[in-house]
Amino acid sequence: MRKTCEHWKQHFPAGKFGAHLFPEFEMRTKAVSSELFRVPKASDAAAILMGLIDATGTKKAVVVESPLLEAAGITAALRSRGVTVYTEAADIAAHADTADIGISGVEFGIAETGSVFQDGYDIATRLVTILPPLHVVFLQSSHIVPGIVEAFDIISPGFDRGYVGFITGPSRTADIERVLTIGVHGPSRFAIIAVDEEPKGGAA
Amino acid sequence: MDTETRNLRKEISEKLKDETLRGALGRFSEVYPGARLKAYENAGDIETLREAVRQMKIDTVLRIEEVADRFEAEATKRGVKVFRAKTGDDVKTYLVDLCKEKGVQKIVKSKSMASEEIELSKHMEAAGITITETDLGEWIVALAGQKPSHMVMPAIHLSRFQVAEYFSKELKTEIKPDIAFMVQAARKELREKFLQADMGISGANFGIAENGAIGLVTNEGNARMVTTLPRIQVALVGYEKLIPTIKDAAKILKVLPRNATAQLMTSYMTMVSGPTPAMVKRNGKWVEEEREMHIILLDNGRLRAAHDDKFKEIYQCVRCASCLNVCPVYTLIGGHVYGHIYAGGIGAILTAFLSGMGEFEQFHELCIGCRRCTTICPGKIDIPGLIEELRIRKVQEKGLPFVIQKAFDHVISNRKLFHSLLRLAAIGQKPFQEGRLIRHLPLFLAGMAKDRSLPAVAAVPLRDRIAKIAKKIAKPDKRVAFFSGCTIDFVFPETGESVFKVLEDLNMEVLFPEGQSCCGKPVIALGDVETTKKIARENIRALDEMNPDVIIAACPTCTESLQHYAELLREDPEWGPKAEAMAKKVREFCSFVAEEYGKRGRLTKTGGGPKVTYHDSCHMKRVLGIEKEPRQLLEAAGCELVEMKDADKCCGMSGIFGVKYAELSMPILEQKIANIRNTGAEIAACACSGCMVQIQGGLDKQLPGVRMKHVADILAEKIKD
Repeated sequence: MRKTCEHWKQHFPAGKFGAHLFPEFEMRTKAVSSELFRVPKASDAAAILMGLIDATGTKKAVVVESPLLEAAGITAALRSRGVTVYTEAADIAAHADTADIGISGVEFGIAETGSVFQDGYDIATRLVTILPPLHVVFLQSSHIVPGIVEAFDIISPGFDRGYVGFITGPSRTADIERVLTIGVHGPSRFAIIAVDEEPKGGAA
Repeated sequence: MDTETRNLRKEISEKLKDETLRGALGRFSEVYPGARLKAYENAGDIETLREAVRQMKIDTVLRIEEVADRFEAEATKRGVKVFRAKTGDDVKTYLVDLCKEKGVQKIVKSKSMASEEIELSKHMEAAGITITETDLGEWIVALAGQKPSHMVMPAIHLSRFQVAEYFSKELKTEIKPDIAFMVQAARKELREKFLQADMGISGANFGIAENGAIGLVTNEGNARMVTTLPRIQVALVGYEKLIPTIKDAAKILKVLPRNATAQLMTSYMTMVSGPTPAMVKRNGKWVEEEREMHIILLDNGRLRAAHDDKFKEIYQCVRCASCLNVCPVYTLIGGHVYGHIYAGGIGAILTAFLSGMGEFEQFHELCIGCRRCTTICPGKIDIPGLIEELRIRKVQEKGLPFVIQKAFDHVISNRKLFHSLLRLAAIGQKPFQEGRLIRHLPLFLAGMAKDRSLPAVAAVPLRDRIAKIAKKIAKPDKRVAFFSGCTIDFVFPETGESVFKVLEDLNMEVLFPEGQSCCGKPVIALGDVETTKKIARENIRALDEMNPDVIIAACPTCTESLQHYAELLREDPEWGPKAEAMAKKVREFCSFVAEEYGKRGRLTKTGGGPKVTYHDSCHMKRVLGIEKEPRQLLEAAGCELVEMKDADKCCGMSGIFGVKYAELSMPILEQKIANIRNTGAEIAACACSGCMVQIQGGLDKQLPGVRMKHVADILAEKIKD
C-alpha cells in the first residue's frame, strides 16, 4: 500500500503522546458527532463492528487493511456474517459508491480537536473513507497527541509528497438556514474503534 | 459589474426590507461572538495565535517571489504542472486548452473564491464544458443565478423555501422545504457528477512552499471528492495563500475553523503534495493510474498588493470572513451590495485591488470605521485603516466631488467662515427646533429625523461663553488647553462648560484657544489629505500659542485626530516636529481626569446616585483603548453602573454615515436604544460627542424617559459651584 510515510510513529513527539490524552480526545470527538468505542484487545473490536453491521443491515463493505484491522480479523468476521467484502483497489473503485460501510485505519488522534489523522496516499483508502454512508476507522488508543501543533510536529518530517489529512466527525453542512445537517457528500456516520492492545510488529 | 448603472441606495433599501436576510444575519450576529470565544477555550491565548499568523504572513509577503519560486519548484519536482496566471483570462485560456487537449467534458469544482473572482464557471460553460459547483451553498447560489453573499456561508440570505424552489426547478421534481431531505437530494444529484467528472477543480486554503502541497479545509467532504475521483486535478491558488513551511499550516488551522464557523476543526482537512493515484476505467476494468495534477498560481492584482507598502497587509487574510460576522453594516444588509464576490470591509479592499477602484467607489462608505473587525481578525488586519488609505488614494487619483471639494477648500478649512455658517444655522433651524432638538424636518429630509431627533446648533456656542465660565486660578497645578471640537463648541456647549468645571475643580487653569477649528476627521474620512494638513497646521498654531502643559479633548475622535497630526505632517520639516511635540501633550478627558482623581484619592466608588449605563464609543475603546476609566469616574460620582448588552457596539453615527445612510444608521441605533432600555438605567452616559448626537436623538424619539449625558456632565453635577 502506498503511504505518504512508512513509519509515522517514529515522528511521534517523545513524552507528548499517549493514552492519558484519550479522555480529552473522547470528549472532543463525541462533541463533533463521532461515535467512539474503546476496547482492550483487538479481538474485542470485531464484536463492536458486528454490532454496527447488524444495526445498519450492512450487506456490502469496502475495507483497506491496517495492522489493527488484521489483528482484529475484521474481513473474516464480516464474511462470516454474510457481508460481501472488497479489499482490492479495483473492486473498491467499482463498489465503494454502493457499499454500506467503509473501514480503514488511521495513524493517530488529536485531543484538542477530536480529529484523527489519516495517511490517504493510497487511493483505495480515500475511496473507502469518503464514499460509503458509514465510515469506521481503527485507532490505537495510545496514539493520541495533545493538539494541532504536535500533529504538525509529526506531519512535517513525514510529509514529503502524498495525501494526508484530518477527519473530524461525519460530513456536515450548515448551508441552508445555518441548520447543522449531517452527511452531505461524505459519510453521514463516522465511528472510531480504539484498541488499547498494541498489534504485534508495532506499526500503526 | 457595471458600476455606472448601480443604485446603491435602492439596493440597500431592498436588502433592509428582505426579512429572510435580516432574520438570518440578525440571529447569526447574535450567536457568533459567543460561539467563537467558546471554540477558543482550549486553544491557548488568542492574541498569541493571532500574532503568530500575522508574523508568518508578513514574513511571507516580504519575500513573496522567493516563496512562490520555492512552491513552484517543489511542486514541479513532484510532478505537478504549475502555471502562473497573471490575469483571470490567463486561467480561463489555460483551462479551456487543457480540457480540449485531454478531452474533458465534465468538471466538478469545490469552493474557490478565486474562481468566482474571475467568473470561471461562466466562461467554461460558454466554452461548452459542464462545470458543477459541489459546495452545497455555492451550488444553491449557482442554481439561483446569484452570487454568494458571505464568503463562508454563501447562501445565508436564502430561506429553506427559496432553496426548495431552486431545487425543484433543477431536479425537475417537487422538493419539499425540509432541510435534511434537501441535503440528501443534493447528495444524490452531486454524487453522480463527482463520479462522472473528468476534472476536479479546487481552491486552496494554503499552499506550502516547503513541499509544494495545497491544503483544503472543508466540512462537506466535496474537496476530498474533487481531489480523489476525477483523473485530472486542478488547484487554483492565489499568491496570498502561500506559506513557507508545513508547520506554518498549524498556525492557520488553529484559528481558521474557530474564527470562521466556531468549530475547533472542520470535518475534513486535507493536504495534497504532488500527483496522487487515481482509479480509471480502461476497457471496462478499473486500473490505478497516476493522476494528472495542475496548480494555477493566480496574480490578478495580488502581486501589486504585495509590493504596496500598505496593502501588503491583505496577505494576512485567511478568508475566515469573521470580519463580516461582527460588522454592524454587513449584518444588516448582507454581502450583495458590496458589488463583487468579496463582501464586507475586507471585501471592499480586495475588490479595489482585484477589480479596480471603480467598484470600490460604490461602497467604501459602508465601512463606518467602528473597528470591531480589528479585534477578531486572525491576521490582525487593520481593515478600516486600509479603507481610509484607499479613500485617500482615490481622492489623489480622481479628486473629490466638486461640491464637497469646494466646501472643504472654502468652508471647513476656513475657520471663520465655517463658524459663521454654524452661527447662521442656529438661526436657520429655528422653525424646526423644539427646545434643543430638531424633531421634524420637511419633505425629503424627513427620513433623517424620523426615528432620531437631530441636535440643534446652540444659540450661544462655547467659544462665546468662555469669558463667563473661565476662572482665574492663582497657582494652577497645570495649564490645560481645551480642544472642544465643533460638536461640543456648537451643539453641546454645556458639556464644554462641564469640562471647564471639572478641570478647574482640580486646580487647573483651563484655556480655550480661539483659533481652534474642526479636528479634520470629517475631511480625512473622505480621503482629502491636503485639506486635513491645512486644518492641522491651523490647530497646532492655535494650541501652541497657549503653551499649555496638557491639551485635553473630550471626544475620542478629536483626541485621535490631534495625535495623528504627527504622522500626517511627518514629512513637513517645519510642522512635523511641532506636531510631534504637540501630540505628546494631547490627552483624552476621562483617562486624564481619572488619573488626577486617582492621585487625589477621589477615584473610589461612592454610591447614592442614579442608575447609569455607559456606551463605549468605538474609537474610545478600540483606538484609544480607554474603557475602564469612564466607568470608574461614573462610580466615583456616585452612579450605580449597569452594563448594557454590546456596550462597545457602534451606535450607528460614524460621522457623516449616520446622516447620509440614515436608513442603515437607524436599525443600528434601534439596537443600541433597546440595549439601553433593558438596563433600566435613568441615564445613558458616554464620552464622545458624536455618539451623543446619535444616542440623544434616538432616546428622544424612542425612549424619552432616559437622558444622554457626557461623563463630564455627570462629574460636574457633583461639584459645588
